[in-house]
Amino acid sequence: MSSNLIAEQAPAFLDSSADLEDRETRRARHRSQIIRLGSIAALVAVFAYFGVAAPGFANLGNLANIVEQSTVLALLAFSMSIVVLGGGGDVIRGGIDLSLGANLGLCAAAFTVASNAGFSDPVAVAITLAVGAAVGLVNAFAVVALGVLPLLATLAVMNICGGAELVLTQNTVISANSPLLSYITGASWLGLSMTDWILVGAAILLIALVHGTRWGLRLQAVGGQRQAARAAGLRVSAYLTGTYVAAGLLAALAAIVQAARLSGSSPGSGDILLSVVLTSLMSVVFSRRLLPSIGGTLLSVLFIGGLINGFQLLNVSSYWVNGVQGVLILFVVAVRSLSLRRGSV
Amino acid sequence: MSATTAPTRPIGAQLVRVTTPAALVILFVIFAVVSPTFRTPGNILHILVNNFSLPALVALGMTLVVSAGGIDLSVGVAADIAAMLAVTLMQNGTGLGLSLIAGIGGALLVGLLDALLITVFGISPFLATLGVLFIGESVQQLATNGGTPIYLVSNYPAAGLDFLAHGQILGLPLPLWLVAAAVVLTQLLLSGTAFGRHLRAIGAEPRVAWYSGVPVRRATWLVYLLSALLCGVAGLLLSATVKSYVPLSGNAFMLDAIGAVFVGTTISRETRPNVLGTLLGVFFFGMLHNGLLLIGWNFYWQQVAIGLLVFIVLGISFLTRRLQTTD
Repeated sequence: MSSNLIAEQAPAFLDSSADLEDRETRRARHRSQIIRLGSIAALVAVFAYFGVAAPGFANLGNLANIVEQSTVLALLAFSMSIVVLGGGGDVIRGGIDLSLGANLGLCAAAFTVASNAGFSDPVAVAITLAVGAAVGLVNAFAVVALGVLPLLATLAVMNICGGAELVLTQNTVISANSPLLSYITGASWLGLSMTDWILVGAAILLIALVHGTRWGLRLQAVGGQRQAARAAGLRVSAYLTGTYVAAGLLAALAAIVQAARLSGSSPGSGDILLSVVLTSLMSVVFSRRLLPSIGGTLLSVLFIGGLINGFQLLNVSSYWVNGVQGVLILFVVAVRSLSLRRGSV
Repeated sequence: MSATTAPTRPIGAQLVRVTTPAALVILFVIFAVVSPTFRTPGNILHILVNNFSLPALVALGMTLVVSAGGIDLSVGVAADIAAMLAVTLMQNGTGLGLSLIAGIGGALLVGLLDALLITVFGISPFLATLGVLFIGESVQQLATNGGTPIYLVSNYPAAGLDFLAHGQILGLPLPLWLVAAAVVLTQLLLSGTAFGRHLRAIGAEPRVAWYSGVPVRRATWLVYLLSALLCGVAGLLLSATVKSYVPLSGNAFMLDAIGAVFVGTTISRETRPNVLGTLLGVFFFGMLHNGLLLIGWNFYWQQVAIGLLVFIVLGISFLTRRLQTTD
């Protein structure tokens, strides 16, 4: 018990422990404002550099292309941000969903197999969403009902999903064709493809939901101080369950987009997991309170997407991409933590 | 409130702690009954050398790191960099000893970078080591033209290398001796010394530990360097066994090591990382891989089964713990 109490009251690593003191809070807010503006400035600077240096980067078509290439990652990163928001920022004891990448692979396989088995698009979509939500429910069951640490519960579920995907596909590429898949990649409206619109729609919806409704505010209360939220009468377990199920549903949506982009399912989708963790945690530097946010997640995904795209146009080897991402996250996080610190550990 | 200091402990508390060992014994018996091959001494030794020793080295380092409240996602990078440097040097004709030392040096650099980012730049361990993981992947891709394995040329004087992989001292394979040394080291650090108490203090409340005069930074440096050292040894053993370096192959260690450490915490009364628990966790995973293979499950179903079993073990032990604490 005591360890649980300590765990929940310990300052999570994303919150500064500064909110104990009023003056500190104000100072921290100023600093976080500077960090946020600095991060946005960095994003603008990088894009401006590519715009000048890389021919074709600033093309409307290319920018839409960046969004299109970022959609799957963005949907998964939104999921991660929602789970982190609800569970709290402590990576080990707070919210995290390591099963997202494997869930993406499993759902893409489910859609492809269902589609090839002759089910119509609506049915295949329903099956895919059901699979994604079921994975989310299993996570929620382990975390909320059994009390397993999210890091561990979702790690085990990741293995189960990865294995289930292999069983479904026998580790092979399976192609699929359906009206829905060609609609997602082919159709366009106002110059943007349906993939772009899915990202735009999901982002607007989630920003409104998480940052503009009572539900979202309470979710952040649950993530910020679980005991206080419980004492205030919030049904903490319902909110936590909701985050994992929502994450599973978003992963299923991402899977349908991925199936459309790859014309089917192919092994290895789970590899996206680390990028998901990276972009979601990086989102804190784009947010006002240094917490994960949907808008911040979108910005960091586009940042990464723009970097990859710009590198391609500049003919920089793609082997640099991971390293640059790594340096980037270390840089932003170091700037943040150094400016928040005042001479202690 | 505090179950840990209660003079008489509820029987349930004891039950949680036997979940993992019990599951291990039950599965061992099942495998032994179903597969005659499984229960042969040769196969048990095979599990210990091939499915246990390398992950155990990595997981023991992870045990130290998690004890100090951290986590190390860069274990695979440390193992890979060690293998990459050593194999590249050997291929260019450098002596075995020098190559191995260079490999260990490379691994230590990874640990150094982790510790630097965590102590000097104040980055949380998860993000710091995640960043190092990304950088390490790029370094390997750039060095190997996107991930081409490096094979040791066949005329390399490989007697020493063979000894590293298959040599025996007093009838016990060398990798197991190295695991034994790592066990003694980590156990001493965790339990017998002031350092161990410092680690636990840092793991529980870093700020309080710092205010109490615990040398938090020094301990952090040591923990990540030791973790990287053990990973480096594992990486070198792996490349000695397969006589090659396969880029990014060390990443397989990461999630298994984390899983083993946390499964291992279930046998501790205070749910702390501990050496025995970690070893049980690693053996649990190794035995499952080997046993499921021998009873004829294909690789795909193995993964589902392992995930499910870990899920069940974690579920039982965390649920029982929760039921006690809410009484």
